[in-house]
Order: sequence, then C-alpha cells, then structure tokens
Amino acid sequence: MAEFECKLKKYRQLKDLTQEQLAEQVGVRRETIMRLEKAQYNPSLKLAVDISRAVEAPIEEIFIFPYQ
Amino acid sequence: MKKKTKVIIGMGIFCILSILVSIWYAVTFNDSRLVVPTDFKSYTFQTKDLPMIVSISLTCIYVFALFFIHLANNTKRTAKTNTTRKVNPKWGFLGLLGFLGFTGFWTYQTTGNVFAFLFFLFFGFFGFFYEGKMSGTFMDERFRENAAHAQLKSYKIIFSIIQITLILLCQGKLFGSLEYTLIATIIILSLTSALGIFLPEYLLYHYDHDDQLNDSEE
Repeated sequence: MAEFECKLKKYRQLKDLTQEQLAEQVGVRRETIMRLEKAQYNPSLKLAVDISRAVEAPIEEIFIFPYQ
Repeated sequence: MKKKTKVIIGMGIFCILSILVSIWYAVTFNDSRLVVPTDFKSYTFQTKDLPMIVSISLTCIYVFALFFIHLANNTKRTAKTNTTRKVNPKWGFLGLLGFLGFTGFWTYQTTGNVFAFLFFLFFGFFGFFYEGKMSGTFMDERFRENAAHAQLKSYKIIFSIIQITLILLCQGKLFGSLEYTLIATIIILSLTSALGIFLPEYLLYHYDHDDQLNDSEE
C-alpha cells in the first residue's frame, strides 16, 4: 500500500463533525474513518471525493502522497 | 400476512395433505407399498404406487423451493441493506460434529466403510461463530476489501496444503498400502475443505477487529 499523509482529522474538526457523522455522510463505518485518519487505509477514488466534498476541502490537501 | 407467504403456507399444507391421502390410499388399497420399508433392489413399479411417488416428489420439490426462496430472500436483503446476513454465533457449535469424523477409523476397522471421514467437513461450521459475531455489519468498501483479502488468503493456504500433501502422498504407498493412501487423501481433503469454510470468516473477523483494538473517538 502506498504511504501517504492524511489531514482528514484536521478538516473534519474544522467542520465540527464527529467521526460517526462523517462516516454516515460518506456511507462508511466509523472504523474506516479512524483508519483513514491514521493513514492506514488507502481509500477508493469515490470515497476520497465524497470525503473531500463532506469536509469541503480539496482531495490533494486531505490525502498527501509524496512524489516518487 | 403477505400473499406470497400465504401461497407458500398453502402449498406446504397441500403437500402434507397429499402425503396423508396417499398413505391412506396405499394402506387401504395397495398393501402399504412404499409406506412400510421397501427393498428397492427388488422393487417393480405398479400404477397404484403413483399417488405415493407423486406426493413424495411434490414434498421434495416444495422443500427445495423453500430452501431457494430463503436463499434468494437473504441475498435480496443483503443487497438492499448492504449489511452482512444475520447468523446466530451459536450455530458455530455445529462444528463439534466434525469430531464424528474420528468414527471413520472405527467404521473402517469394523466394516471397511470410509464415508464417516467426510464428517471432518463439519469442522468448517466453527466459522459460524465468527460470522455470527459480524452479522448485520454494514459492508463498506474497507469491509469488502478485507473480505476479499481473507478469501484470497484462505484459498492460498488451502491450495498450498492440498498441493503439498498430494505431492507427498503421490510419492508412493502410505505404510505400503494404497488403501491407506486414499484414506489419508479423503481425510486431508475433508479437513482442508473444512478449513476453506472456516478460515475466510476467521480471517475477516481478525482483520476487521484488529483494526479496532487501538481505535478511539477523537
């Protein structure tokens, strides 16, 4: 799995959302949001887009993949 | 009650009634043929046997239809709610039936029958224990990914075991007996099939719950 940095927690807190609320909005389980925030799960493009829309932040700022 | 349920219950009642009527007919007019234990080696068909044959066939079809309707409903519900099927973890105790496989050693010694070794397959039902623990879980993309990963890993393990044991067994006769070699093959195939039923559920539970050990709401 590609290593990346995830800023989801920061953007989620800015939007004043709990993990549960965000999970419900994007149609996943809370555990998935937890794993995403720890950068331990590489989401599908659709989930990344959904999350980006939910927290109103660009994908590339939430999920930061280093240049190879 | 739904119309569909009424039809299913009605057909069940019809099957039971048809069996009762055909039993009465066979006892009254057909010397209880097919009601009392029948030796099918010497059986010859008679027209009077038809009611019993038809009613038994109808009942068998009904039971199969019930099974498939249940399966279809389960699949439909899973697709609709996107959650795993509801299973009681207590079904996992069915796995204990796997120990019946050991009776194969006794039946082989006494009657030469090796069929009982197939009971080792029941060990696979221990998987219900883990499936039950995860029943009704919402299947998001990570869950599906974990499920696929668990399935693939278990296939890999099972095929490796089968391949290694078959290569070893095919080297020659086990204890100088081809019969022992075939019995060992039956046992290995039964046990690996059981593993194939159990392992995906166990691994899925393991992947899904190990993730949560250190998780907390922040």
